[in-house]
Amino acid sequence: MLRRFAVVFCLAALGGCVDAQGPRPSNLGASKLDLGEPGIQWYTTWESAEAEAKRSGRAIMFVAAATQCHGVSGVF
Amino acid sequence: MVCVRLESYESAEHQQYVRTFLNGRFENSAFCILAPDGQEWLSRASRGPEQVLGRSGATAALHRYALMYPAKADSKDASVQDFHSFRQALNVASADQRVLVLINAPAGQEAKLRESLRAVANDKSVIGRFHFDFEQGSDWKANVTGSSNQPGIVLIHPGEFGMSGKVLKQLPLNAANDQIIATMRQANTQFAATTEKKVYSQHVAKGTREGIYFEGAVPYGEDRDGDGEIDHRGGGRGRGGVGGRGTSGRGTSGRGPSGRGPSGSQPRR
Repeated sequence: MLRRFAVVFCLAALGGCVDAQGPRPSNLGASKLDLGEPGIQWYTTWESAEAEAKRSGRAIMFVAAATQCHGVSGVF
Repeated sequence: MVCVRLESYESAEHQQYVRTFLNGRFENSAFCILAPDGQEWLSRASRGPEQVLGRSGATAALHRYALMYPAKADSKDASVQDFHSFRQALNVASADQRVLVLINAPAGQEAKLRESLRAVANDKSVIGRFHFDFEQGSDWKANVTGSSNQPGIVLIHPGEFGMSGKVLKQLPLNAANDQIIATMRQANTQFAATTEKKVYSQHVAKGTREGIYFEGAVPYGEDRDGDGEIDHRGGGRGRGGVGGRGTSGRGTSGRGPSGRGPSGSQPRR
Protein backbone atom coordinates (compact mmCIF):
# COMPACT_ATOMS: atom_id res chain seq x y z
CA MET A 1 0.00 0.00 0.00
CA LEU A 2 2.78 2.41 0.88
CA ARG A 3 4.55 1.63 -2.37
CA ARG A 4 1.43 2.60 -4.19
CA PHE A 5 1.29 5.84 -2.29
CA ALA A 6 4.78 6.59 -3.56
CA VAL A 7 3.24 7.04 -6.97
CA VAL A 8 1.28 9.91 -5.50
CA PHE A 9 4.40 11.97 -5.45
CA CYS A 10 4.62 11.79 -9.16
CA LEU A 11 1.47 13.82 -8.89
CA ALA A 12 3.56 16.66 -7.58
CA ALA A 13 4.06 17.39 -11.25
CA LEU A 14 0.31 17.75 -11.70
CA GLY A 15 0.37 21.44 -12.17
CA GLY A 16 3.44 21.32 -14.35
CA CYS A 17 1.92 22.41 -17.58
CA VAL A 18 -0.18 25.44 -16.86
CA ASP A 19 1.46 28.79 -16.62
CA ALA A 20 3.56 29.79 -13.69
CA GLN A 21 2.49 27.11 -11.20
CA GLY A 22 4.73 24.13 -10.56
CA PRO A 23 7.59 23.01 -12.75
CA ARG A 24 7.65 23.86 -16.44
CA PRO A 25 7.16 21.01 -18.93
CA SER A 26 10.80 21.29 -19.91
CA ASN A 27 11.74 20.37 -16.35
CA LEU A 28 9.59 17.29 -16.10
CA GLY A 29 10.99 13.88 -16.84
CA ALA A 30 9.71 10.34 -16.78
CA SER A 31 7.75 8.50 -14.16
CA LYS A 32 9.85 6.62 -11.64
CA LEU A 33 7.53 3.65 -12.03
CA ASP A 34 8.61 1.04 -14.57
CA LEU A 35 6.10 0.12 -17.24
CA GLY A 36 4.00 -2.84 -16.30
CA GLU A 37 4.60 -2.37 -12.60
CA PRO A 38 1.66 -1.69 -10.32
CA GLY A 39 0.72 1.85 -9.51
CA ILE A 40 -2.34 3.31 -7.88
CA GLN A 41 -5.61 1.64 -8.82
CA TRP A 42 -7.63 4.74 -9.59
CA TYR A 43 -11.32 5.23 -9.66
CA THR A 44 -11.98 7.69 -12.46
CA THR A 45 -15.51 8.83 -11.70
CA TRP A 46 -16.66 10.41 -8.48
CA GLU A 47 -19.76 8.21 -8.31
CA SER A 48 -17.78 4.98 -8.38
CA ALA A 49 -15.24 6.19 -5.84
CA GLU A 50 -17.90 7.42 -3.46
CA ALA A 51 -19.77 4.13 -3.75
CA GLU A 52 -16.65 2.11 -3.09
CA ALA A 53 -15.67 4.27 -0.12
CA LYS A 54 -19.09 3.76 1.44
CA ARG A 55 -18.94 0.04 0.76
CA SER A 56 -15.50 -0.43 2.19
CA GLY A 57 -15.44 2.25 4.86
CA ARG A 58 -12.12 3.56 3.54
CA ALA A 59 -11.05 7.18 3.34
CA ILE A 60 -10.87 8.87 -0.05
CA MET A 61 -7.83 10.41 -1.64
CA PHE A 62 -9.22 12.88 -4.16
CA VAL A 63 -7.09 14.04 -7.04
CA ALA A 64 -7.97 16.10 -10.07
CA ALA A 65 -5.44 16.40 -12.86
CA ALA A 66 -5.16 17.12 -16.55
CA THR A 67 -4.31 14.51 -19.15
CA GLN A 68 -3.05 17.09 -21.52
CA CYS A 69 -0.62 19.94 -21.66
CA HIS A 70 -1.60 22.82 -23.92
CA GLY A 71 -3.89 20.34 -25.65
CA VAL A 72 -1.26 17.66 -26.15
CA SER A 73 -2.91 14.57 -24.75
CA GLY A 74 -1.60 11.28 -23.48
CA VAL A 75 0.28 12.58 -20.50
CA PHE A 76 -0.40 13.45 -16.88
CA MET B 1 -7.75 4.21 0.86
CA VAL B 2 -9.98 4.72 -2.17
CA CYS B 3 -8.06 6.74 -4.73
CA VAL B 4 -10.07 8.77 -7.19
CA ARG B 5 -8.52 10.83 -9.93
CA LEU B 6 -10.75 12.96 -12.10
CA GLU B 7 -9.68 14.62 -15.32
CA SER B 8 -10.09 18.32 -14.68
CA TYR B 9 -11.16 19.23 -18.20
CA GLU B 10 -13.38 16.23 -18.88
CA SER B 11 -16.62 17.99 -18.04
CA ALA B 12 -18.15 21.04 -16.43
CA GLU B 13 -19.00 18.88 -13.44
CA HIS B 14 -15.36 17.97 -12.93
CA GLN B 15 -14.37 21.59 -13.23
CA GLN B 16 -16.91 22.39 -10.54
CA TYR B 17 -15.49 19.74 -8.24
CA VAL B 18 -12.11 21.41 -8.54
CA ARG B 19 -13.65 24.77 -7.76
CA THR B 20 -15.28 23.45 -4.61
CA PHE B 21 -11.91 22.22 -3.38
CA LEU B 22 -10.05 25.39 -4.36
CA ASN B 23 -12.42 27.99 -2.96
CA GLY B 24 -13.99 28.85 -6.25
CA ARG B 25 -10.76 28.92 -8.25
CA PHE B 26 -10.14 26.56 -11.11
CA GLU B 27 -6.64 25.25 -11.55
CA ASN B 28 -5.70 22.16 -13.43
CA SER B 29 -5.13 20.03 -10.36
CA ALA B 30 -6.58 19.57 -6.90
CA PHE B 31 -5.97 17.28 -3.93
CA CYS B 32 -7.83 16.48 -0.73
CA ILE B 33 -8.39 13.61 1.68
CA LEU B 34 -12.00 12.90 2.58
CA ALA B 35 -13.85 10.63 4.95
CA PRO B 36 -15.63 7.59 3.51
CA ASP B 37 -18.88 9.54 3.35
CA GLY B 38 -17.33 11.61 0.59
CA GLN B 39 -18.30 14.79 2.37
CA GLU B 40 -16.14 15.46 5.40
CA TRP B 41 -12.70 16.77 4.56
CA LEU B 42 -9.98 15.15 6.61
CA SER B 43 -7.31 17.45 5.24
CA ARG B 44 -7.29 20.87 3.75
CA ALA B 45 -7.44 21.03 -0.02
CA SER B 46 -4.92 22.44 -2.40
CA ARG B 47 -3.39 21.76 -5.79
CA GLY B 48 -1.40 18.67 -4.93
CA PRO B 49 -0.17 16.33 -2.22
CA GLU B 50 2.94 18.38 -1.52
CA GLN B 51 0.89 21.45 -0.72
CA VAL B 52 -1.47 19.51 1.53
CA LEU B 53 0.82 16.98 3.18
CA GLY B 54 4.22 18.61 2.85
CA ARG B 55 7.29 17.39 1.03
CA SER B 56 8.52 15.05 3.71
CA GLY B 57 6.31 12.80 5.73
CA ALA B 58 3.53 12.73 3.16
CA THR B 59 3.59 8.95 2.90
CA ALA B 60 3.35 8.67 6.66
CA ALA B 61 0.46 11.15 6.65
CA LEU B 62 -1.41 9.13 4.05
CA HIS B 63 -0.79 6.02 6.08
CA ARG B 64 -2.28 7.71 9.16
CA TYR B 65 -5.37 8.73 7.22
CA ALA B 66 -5.75 5.19 5.94
CA LEU B 67 -5.47 3.82 9.48
CA MET B 68 -8.22 6.18 10.66
CA TYR B 69 -10.61 4.24 8.44
CA PRO B 70 -9.56 0.62 8.14
CA ALA B 71 -11.42 -1.35 5.52
CA LYS B 72 -14.56 -3.00 6.76
CA ALA B 73 -15.18 -4.94 3.56
CA ASP B 74 -12.98 -7.24 1.52
CA SER B 75 -10.89 -5.43 -1.05
CA LYS B 76 -11.28 -8.41 -3.36
CA ASP B 77 -14.87 -7.26 -3.82
CA ALA B 78 -13.96 -3.69 -4.74
CA SER B 79 -15.91 -2.48 -7.73
CA VAL B 80 -14.24 -2.41 -11.11
CA GLN B 81 -13.14 0.93 -12.41
CA ASP B 82 -15.01 2.54 -15.29
CA PHE B 83 -14.81 5.76 -17.29
CA HIS B 84 -17.49 8.11 -18.51
CA SER B 85 -16.36 7.56 -22.08
CA PHE B 86 -14.05 5.37 -24.11
CA ARG B 87 -12.37 8.50 -25.39
CA GLN B 88 -11.42 9.39 -21.83
CA ALA B 89 -10.39 5.82 -21.03
CA LEU B 90 -8.03 5.67 -23.98
CA ASN B 91 -6.42 8.98 -23.14
CA VAL B 92 -5.92 8.14 -19.47
CA ALA B 93 -4.55 4.69 -20.29
CA SER B 94 -2.12 6.36 -22.65
CA ALA B 95 -1.12 8.93 -20.04
CA ASP B 96 -0.54 6.25 -17.41
CA GLN B 97 1.02 3.94 -19.97
CA ARG B 98 -1.19 1.02 -19.06
CA VAL B 99 -3.05 -1.51 -21.16
CA LEU B 100 -6.73 -0.67 -21.38
CA VAL B 101 -9.13 -3.54 -20.70
CA LEU B 102 -12.34 -2.75 -22.51
CA ILE B 103 -15.38 -4.80 -21.62
CA ASN B 104 -17.55 -4.43 -24.67
CA ALA B 105 -20.81 -6.13 -23.77
CA PRO B 106 -24.50 -5.78 -24.58
CA ALA B 107 -26.54 -3.91 -21.99
CA GLY B 108 -28.08 -7.07 -20.63
CA GLN B 109 -24.75 -8.60 -19.74
CA GLU B 110 -22.83 -5.64 -18.42
CA ALA B 111 -24.09 -5.72 -14.84
CA LYS B 112 -23.18 -9.36 -14.41
CA LEU B 113 -19.72 -8.74 -15.84
CA ARG B 114 -19.15 -5.83 -13.49
CA GLU B 115 -19.70 -8.30 -10.66
CA SER B 116 -17.80 -11.26 -12.03
CA LEU B 117 -14.77 -9.20 -13.05
CA ARG B 118 -14.17 -7.88 -9.55
CA ALA B 119 -12.06 -10.92 -8.85
CA VAL B 120 -10.01 -10.18 -11.95
CA ALA B 121 -9.55 -6.49 -11.36
CA ASN B 122 -8.53 -7.02 -7.74
CA ASP B 123 -6.18 -9.91 -8.37
CA LYS B 124 -2.75 -9.04 -7.01
CA SER B 125 -1.11 -9.62 -10.38
CA VAL B 126 -3.56 -7.23 -12.05
CA ILE B 127 -4.37 -4.44 -9.64
CA GLY B 128 -2.72 -1.14 -10.41
CA ARG B 129 -1.39 -2.29 -13.77
CA PHE B 130 -4.39 -1.73 -16.05
CA HIS B 131 -7.29 0.55 -16.69
CA PHE B 132 -10.80 -0.79 -17.24
CA ASP B 133 -13.70 0.57 -19.20
CA PHE B 134 -17.18 -0.72 -19.96
CA GLU B 135 -18.73 0.18 -23.29
CA GLN B 136 -21.76 -0.94 -25.22
CA GLY B 137 -22.01 -0.67 -28.95
CA SER B 138 -19.17 -0.23 -31.38
CA ASP B 139 -18.36 3.48 -31.46
CA TRP B 140 -15.08 2.75 -29.69
CA LYS B 141 -13.77 0.93 -32.76
CA ALA B 142 -13.47 4.10 -34.79
CA ASN B 143 -9.84 4.72 -33.76
CA VAL B 144 -8.80 1.25 -32.68
CA THR B 145 -7.21 -1.19 -35.08
CA GLY B 146 -7.50 -4.93 -34.88
CA SER B 147 -10.98 -5.12 -33.38
CA SER B 148 -13.37 -7.92 -34.23
CA ASN B 149 -17.09 -7.82 -34.89
CA GLN B 150 -17.92 -9.62 -31.68
CA PRO B 151 -18.40 -8.19 -28.23
CA GLY B 152 -15.75 -9.29 -25.81
CA ILE B 153 -13.02 -8.39 -23.36
CA VAL B 154 -10.61 -6.39 -25.44
CA LEU B 155 -7.07 -5.60 -24.35
CA ILE B 156 -5.93 -2.40 -26.04
CA HIS B 157 -2.51 -0.86 -26.38
CA PRO B 158 -3.25 2.88 -26.22
CA GLY B 159 -1.59 5.10 -28.75
CA GLU B 160 1.09 7.57 -27.82
CA PHE B 161 -1.29 10.52 -27.60
CA GLY B 162 -4.31 8.65 -26.37
CA MET B 163 -6.35 9.17 -29.50
CA SER B 164 -5.94 5.74 -31.03
CA GLY B 165 -5.19 2.21 -30.02
CA LYS B 166 -4.58 -1.29 -31.23
CA VAL B 167 -6.04 -4.50 -29.99
CA LEU B 168 -3.52 -6.79 -28.34
CA LYS B 169 -5.92 -9.59 -27.59
CA GLN B 170 -9.63 -10.22 -27.37
CA LEU B 171 -11.40 -12.76 -25.21
CA PRO B 172 -15.05 -13.82 -25.26
CA LEU B 173 -17.28 -12.42 -22.57
CA ASN B 174 -17.68 -15.84 -21.01
CA ALA B 175 -13.96 -16.45 -20.63
CA ALA B 176 -13.00 -17.82 -17.24
CA ASN B 177 -11.40 -15.43 -14.80
CA ASP B 178 -8.12 -17.31 -14.64
CA GLN B 179 -7.87 -17.21 -18.43
CA ILE B 180 -8.58 -13.49 -18.41
CA ILE B 181 -5.90 -12.90 -15.77
CA ALA B 182 -3.33 -14.97 -17.61
CA THR B 183 -4.03 -13.14 -20.86
CA MET B 184 -3.82 -9.78 -19.14
CA ARG B 185 -0.47 -10.67 -17.59
CA GLN B 186 0.90 -11.64 -20.98
CA ALA B 187 -0.43 -8.46 -22.55
CA ASN B 188 1.11 -6.40 -19.77
CA THR B 189 4.48 -8.04 -20.24
CA GLN B 190 4.29 -7.52 -23.99
CA PHE B 191 3.25 -3.90 -23.52
CA ALA B 192 6.06 -3.15 -21.09
CA ALA B 193 8.65 -4.79 -23.33
CA THR B 194 7.63 -2.91 -26.46
CA THR B 195 6.75 0.52 -25.15
CA GLU B 196 9.10 3.35 -24.42
CA LYS B 197 8.51 5.21 -21.20
CA LYS B 198 7.29 8.71 -21.86
CA VAL B 199 9.33 11.71 -20.87
CA TYR B 200 6.88 14.49 -20.15
CA SER B 201 8.76 17.34 -21.75
CA GLN B 202 9.67 15.37 -24.87
CA HIS B 203 6.12 14.10 -25.23
CA VAL B 204 4.64 17.57 -25.07
CA ALA B 205 7.25 18.94 -27.46
CA LYS B 206 6.60 16.15 -29.94
CA GLY B 207 2.87 16.54 -29.69
CA THR B 208 3.17 20.25 -30.27
CA ARG B 209 5.31 19.71 -33.36
CA GLU B 210 2.83 17.18 -34.72
CA GLY B 211 -0.16 19.40 -34.07
CA ILE B 212 -1.77 17.07 -31.55
CA TYR B 213 -4.78 18.68 -29.93
CA PHE B 214 -7.21 16.95 -27.60
CA GLU B 215 -10.40 18.92 -27.29
CA GLY B 216 -11.61 19.16 -23.71
CA ALA B 217 -15.18 19.68 -22.66
CA VAL B 218 -14.29 22.92 -20.91
CA PRO B 219 -11.81 25.59 -21.97
CA TYR B 220 -8.20 24.90 -21.14
CA GLY B 221 -6.51 27.30 -18.81
CA GLU B 222 -7.06 28.33 -15.21
CA ASP B 223 -9.21 30.74 -13.29
CA ARG B 224 -6.92 31.78 -10.48
CA ASP B 225 -8.90 34.82 -9.46
CA GLY B 226 -12.04 32.76 -9.10
CA ASP B 227 -14.20 35.10 -11.12
CA GLY B 228 -15.72 32.22 -13.02
CA GLU B 229 -13.82 32.98 -16.22
CA ILE B 230 -10.69 31.32 -17.51
CA ASP B 231 -7.81 33.75 -17.17
CA HIS B 232 -6.47 34.97 -20.46
CA ARG B 233 -2.78 35.36 -20.72
CA GLY B 234 -0.33 36.21 -23.46
CA GLY B 235 1.36 33.34 -25.26
CA GLY B 236 0.22 29.74 -25.24
CA ARG B 237 -1.52 28.05 -28.09
CA GLY B 238 -4.74 29.94 -27.70
CA ARG B 239 -7.12 27.25 -28.80
CA GLY B 240 -9.62 26.14 -26.25
CA GLY B 241 -9.31 29.40 -24.39
CA VAL B 242 -12.85 30.49 -25.13
CA GLY B 243 -16.04 28.65 -25.50
CA GLY B 244 -16.17 25.08 -24.60
CA ARG B 245 -16.04 23.07 -27.73
CA GLY B 246 -15.22 19.49 -27.49
CA THR B 247 -16.82 16.29 -26.65
CA SER B 248 -16.46 14.15 -23.68
CA GLY B 249 -18.51 11.20 -24.78
CA ARG B 250 -20.71 10.25 -21.88
CA GLY B 251 -19.10 13.12 -20.16
CA THR B 252 -21.84 14.21 -17.82
CA SER B 253 -20.72 12.74 -14.62
CA GLY B 254 -23.84 12.92 -12.52
CA ARG B 255 -23.48 13.64 -8.83
CA GLY B 256 -20.21 14.98 -7.70
CA PRO B 257 -18.64 15.60 -4.33
CA SER B 258 -21.57 16.61 -2.19
CA GLY B 259 -22.18 20.30 -1.80
CA ARG B 260 -22.12 19.82 1.94
CA GLY B 261 -18.63 18.43 2.23
CA PRO B 262 -16.48 20.01 -0.41
CA SER B 263 -18.16 23.36 0.00
CA GLY B 264 -16.55 23.90 3.34
CA SER B 265 -16.51 21.14 5.92
CA GLN B 266 -13.43 21.90 7.96
CA PRO B 267 -10.98 19.10 8.53
CA ARG B 268 -10.84 17.59 11.97
CA ARG B 269 -7.69 18.47 13.87
